[in-house]
Amino acid sequence: MRPALEAAQNVAWRRLGLPGTWWTGAERLAIARETLAAAACPFCAERNAALSPLSVPGAHDAGEPALPPAAIEAIHRIRTDPGRLSEAWYLRLREAGLGEEAYVELVSVVAVTVAVDTYRRGSGLPPLAFPRAEPGTPTRRRPEGAKPGRGFVATVAPEDRADTDPDMYLDHPGPRRRVGANIHRALTLVPDSMIHWWDVLEELYQEGPQMRDYGVEYRAISHAQIELLAARVAALNRCEY
Amino acid sequence: MRGDPGSDVPHGGLLLAFADAVLGRDSTALADLREAVRTAVGDAGLSDAAGVIGGFDGITRIADAIGIPLEPEKIELAADFFNTLDIGRFRREKA
Repeated sequence: MRPALEAAQNVAWRRLGLPGTWWTGAERLAIARETLAAAACPFCAERNAALSPLSVPGAHDAGEPALPPAAIEAIHRIRTDPGRLSEAWYLRLREAGLGEEAYVELVSVVAVTVAVDTYRRGSGLPPLAFPRAEPGTPTRRRPEGAKPGRGFVATVAPEDRADTDPDMYLDHPGPRRRVGANIHRALTLVPDSMIHWWDVLEELYQEGPQMRDYGVEYRAISHAQIELLAARVAALNRCEY
Repeated sequence: MRGDPGSDVPHGGLLLAFADAVLGRDSTALADLREAVRTAVGDAGLSDAAGVIGGFDGITRIADAIGIPLEPEKIELAADFFNTLDIGRFRREKA
């Protein structure tokens, strides 16, 4: 494994146990454990096979009692049936008590957990042990510049980032390295979650400038091979974006 | 989808089968394909291939869980193969 990739994975994994912005370290680890367990949930398997997941009654095989039911539903659907998630489904989670910001942070924890776990399965490496939960209280800070309009949740455009927000688009020292595409904006309602995700993704895949630099190969497989794999995974997960 | 030729990309068919296996449940098939990929592109290539698969297994979940739309310029660029491959069916299946 490239040293930079190993370091990025270790940092990302350790951050799962740190207090977040809207969840404690213990809760974030519970989300990560439930993410892995959801792959074996019989209810999810039954719903996944149905023409519509809403047509199947039942309950998730959940192992984290500290998490509210809406969080369990979110984790299981994102883990096992991401291609059929809708805004109506998201709004039902909100009505069930899951906050907008807490949902965004949950999505980031699920994504980091899935990405690292899938990488290790592909590489033939054993799963990483979860870190210890660190004490601390979530800051519950919502960026002032967050606005609705790109997807189900509010996001922070590069031009709306305040000086009090972290440098999540990597504007400094310049030029901006995370250009502000919709996928960059997705998690920006919780800046630390956006950074948590992109710091590990850019080592698993490539940084944006590397992705667009077709004259140089930055990985041991070519740009064409990388994009072929990326497209296949997107299709397997039924992702339109 | 397994067995697609992978266009003209070197080892394309093998890489596609590897991605299918990593996201699938057949551990024996995955072990075989992992070694085939290692032979084809080396240890570092195998690691980087697994990295792309892991990264996109995560990022597709972010895209769908947040419901972000494609940028208008990408819709225009992708219109041809979007229609050919009926990728719009992914949106019709949401619930």
